[in-house]
Amino acid sequence: MNLYAYILRRLLYVIPVLLGVCLVIFVLFNLVAPDPAFILLGKHATHQQIAELHHELGMDKPFIAQYFDTVKTAFTFDFGYSWASKQNIWQMIKAGAGPSLSVTGPLFVISNIFAISLALLVAFYRGKLIDKFVLVLSIAGMSIPSLAVVLFGQWFFAYKLGLFEISGYENGFPNFIPYVILPVILYVFISFGGDTRFYRTVILDEAYQDYVRTARSKGLSELKVMFKHVLKNSMIPILTQIIIQIPYLILGLIFAESFFSIPGLGAMTINAINNSDFPVIKAMTILSAVAFILFGVITDVLYTVVDPRMKLK
Amino acid sequence: MRNIFTTVVLLLSAVLLSSGCTKKQDVNEKVLNLVSPAEIKGYDPIQADDLYSGREISKIYEGLLQYHWLKMPYELVPNLAESMPEISKDGITYTFKIRKGVKFQDDAAFPGGKGREMTAQDFVYSIKRLADSKNQATGWWVLDGKLAGLNEWREKNAKLPASNYDEEVEGIKALDNYTLQFKLAKKFPQFMYSLAMPFTYVVAKEVVEKYGKEFINHPVGTGPYVLPIFDQGKKITYTKNPTFREKLYPSDASPEFKNLLADAGKKLPLVDKVVVHVMKETQPAWLKLNKGEIDYYSVPKDNFASAIKDNKLTPDLAKKGFILEIAPALDVTYTAFNFENKLFHNKKLRQAMYLAFDEKKSNELFYNNTAFPAQSIIPPGIAGNIKDYLNPYKGLKLEEAKKMLAEAGYPEGKGLPELKYDIPDSTVSRQSGEFFQQQMAQIGVKIKIVTSPWPEFQAKVKKKAVEIYGLAWGADYPDAENFLQLFYGPNKSPGANGSNYDNPEFNKQFEDAVVMQDSPERTAKYEKLNKFLAEEVVAMFGVHRQSYILEHGWLRNYHPTDLHHDAVQYLNIDTAKKAELLKNF
Repeated sequence: MNLYAYILRRLLYVIPVLLGVCLVIFVLFNLVAPDPAFILLGKHATHQQIAELHHELGMDKPFIAQYFDTVKTAFTFDFGYSWASKQNIWQMIKAGAGPSLSVTGPLFVISNIFAISLALLVAFYRGKLIDKFVLVLSIAGMSIPSLAVVLFGQWFFAYKLGLFEISGYENGFPNFIPYVILPVILYVFISFGGDTRFYRTVILDEAYQDYVRTARSKGLSELKVMFKHVLKNSMIPILTQIIIQIPYLILGLIFAESFFSIPGLGAMTINAINNSDFPVIKAMTILSAVAFILFGVITDVLYTVVDPRMKLK
Repeated sequence: MRNIFTTVVLLLSAVLLSSGCTKKQDVNEKVLNLVSPAEIKGYDPIQADDLYSGREISKIYEGLLQYHWLKMPYELVPNLAESMPEISKDGITYTFKIRKGVKFQDDAAFPGGKGREMTAQDFVYSIKRLADSKNQATGWWVLDGKLAGLNEWREKNAKLPASNYDEEVEGIKALDNYTLQFKLAKKFPQFMYSLAMPFTYVVAKEVVEKYGKEFINHPVGTGPYVLPIFDQGKKITYTKNPTFREKLYPSDASPEFKNLLADAGKKLPLVDKVVVHVMKETQPAWLKLNKGEIDYYSVPKDNFASAIKDNKLTPDLAKKGFILEIAPALDVTYTAFNFENKLFHNKKLRQAMYLAFDEKKSNELFYNNTAFPAQSIIPPGIAGNIKDYLNPYKGLKLEEAKKMLAEAGYPEGKGLPELKYDIPDSTVSRQSGEFFQQQMAQIGVKIKIVTSPWPEFQAKVKKKAVEIYGLAWGADYPDAENFLQLFYGPNKSPGANGSNYDNPEFNKQFEDAVVMQDSPERTAKYEKLNKFLAEEVVAMFGVHRQSYILEHGWLRNYHPTDLHHDAVQYLNIDTAKKAELLKNF
């Protein structure tokens, strides 16, 4: 199939997915979530004020009309204004994206390079002491709750040793750097165990294939075998694992942003949930859905690049 | 492979090399570093219904009145008003003289970007803005039904596409540029307190109109600090308002604050810059306090044992120059019954449940034994609280409780349905719910704990969809009316009376008391009402909490307070002492 036709077809899938996402968030918000009027109006709200606010927010419209409003938002990307902060939601997203990316960007790059390199190393020395050591370390990393890592890291590295800022954030490069180093290091540690184990398994799966044995029997060095053959042929699951992380980069790290007082999109989303700020929740959900679809398409296209045998259907 | 290793090693080295990357404090700069434990919703005074937004708004905006910084009990004094108002004999008309020469902060909304003089008309506009239903003000309740003609104006304008701010309202008039007159719909002396609350702070019409929906993020007031734009960030930096009027630090004080008079007569504000760090998590804030990066912070529950022993600081903290401030909060915690449920009309049932609850243990478990047991609803420090009064139904008296339950018609709980106990879904609330469940089980009362997220919990109370629920109430102003109204019949849900208690006798006595000016007679009436609620066991009153706050030795003039939203302007930093004390960190 033609690449462009495939991309177009996959992008058209956005339509039913977005309709479904709209339905889910609409049902959750209208049937499960509490009435935002009680939060927005405070503890002294009267019946009349609640009714007036429902009218103002369009919550007294028939359900079907409200659903179409949600659908319209999803397809026009006109997210409007936050109910809580009264800010334009696109401006809020723009303001939050920088701080989020300043943490998730370096984290994404470092953690993947680190995990793939380590996986290659332990695959190379499979069964040896270093493999066993990294295995134990990975399992330990996966077993320690991320909260414990953050609490300890903040106390030990920032407070006791005074190496980093405890928390906070300043906009603009390079002002933000002192504030993001510690969260990045801690989150590399949190993610390295799972990632390394995954990449090691993928690499070892390939390492025992017949063509690898053939390459070795041809007399190729182990380094060449690992990089030219094994790594290249392991790229499909590695790519999938890497690209699937990208939408999360955009959405920010909810827990880290709260602990390190980083004004990113994760903190914004949590705030919106706490305040029943439906327009912001809606915007973030729609953007996530679109991001996942988009990066799904990118992954598929990249498959054909790394493995020409793959055909797009 | 070597290249990849090199890259990884280089990257790690880069990270490690930059590990010394911390910002150094300039101790010579007079900067206050404070914490807000909640997000700031924005800077519109009429929406300042939470303590933290109120505090931020009060750095920029001001009202007619304020609480004297160095007097307890709380005392109202003029702020933007030149003097206290002239009150007509019938207690209906309040006439204020407004301070002359007070300027709004410079902003592009004004011609030439220069802030203009504030006038009485600005207050008329600001009050109407609070009343305008199109603004959905969370603060409307302070004036709802209080000013002559204002509710009518609100209702009339609600139907119009745009509200008519030029239409005269009898209850709020600018007699000239510097004279403002309020006319009450009925006598209500507590009205004065509303003029010290952020909801009634003065705003400029030009600014509201220029920024429209985004006004909430463009604060322009008359106050001591300026913030050009609020970007919803986690760090809010205020600088001194260069056009702030000549406002001086007070020169008189109550005996307990005489030690805070060193800056008497100095021009306010006393520090050049205020940085507010929005930090929801307690650990980073506590660590920052211990590093000297913030100036004061309340002791988190989890750090209490390591910081305080026998109500004193541990030697470690004392050595660093910390000062411990303990202050009773103007609040009460209580377990409410929903009187819409006929079951709770049985007074003996309520009394039996209260007698079965071990408040001492609860205080120990949930407040580190730092709270005062609440005998009724009015906290100490507010006229109407009865010193040394002991509620006969409070405290663990199991045998008496069992006997009372039998008299109520439910011996050992037989015949009594399982009661639902609604609480917000935080860990501490859940633990306190379980404790309540255990206590009631001692006499055979079965409790089912129902947890909901805070908004849903609130909604259930407002919709009367609860049976028993736990809550706390903090004072909006220092008058017993603000607490007693929680059981006033006409305030039933969705009003503040979530118990839906409606006793005609109590209602009448409450109505008689609240229209009286502050006097020994009114205090006697408040005390009587307070005792009545206690002995009726309209709720199971828990505790009045206390704040435990650590401040650094270099911070001057600080004292914990519930109602001084504008405290920051009085605070000062002793930079020499800071440099000295930081050597111990």
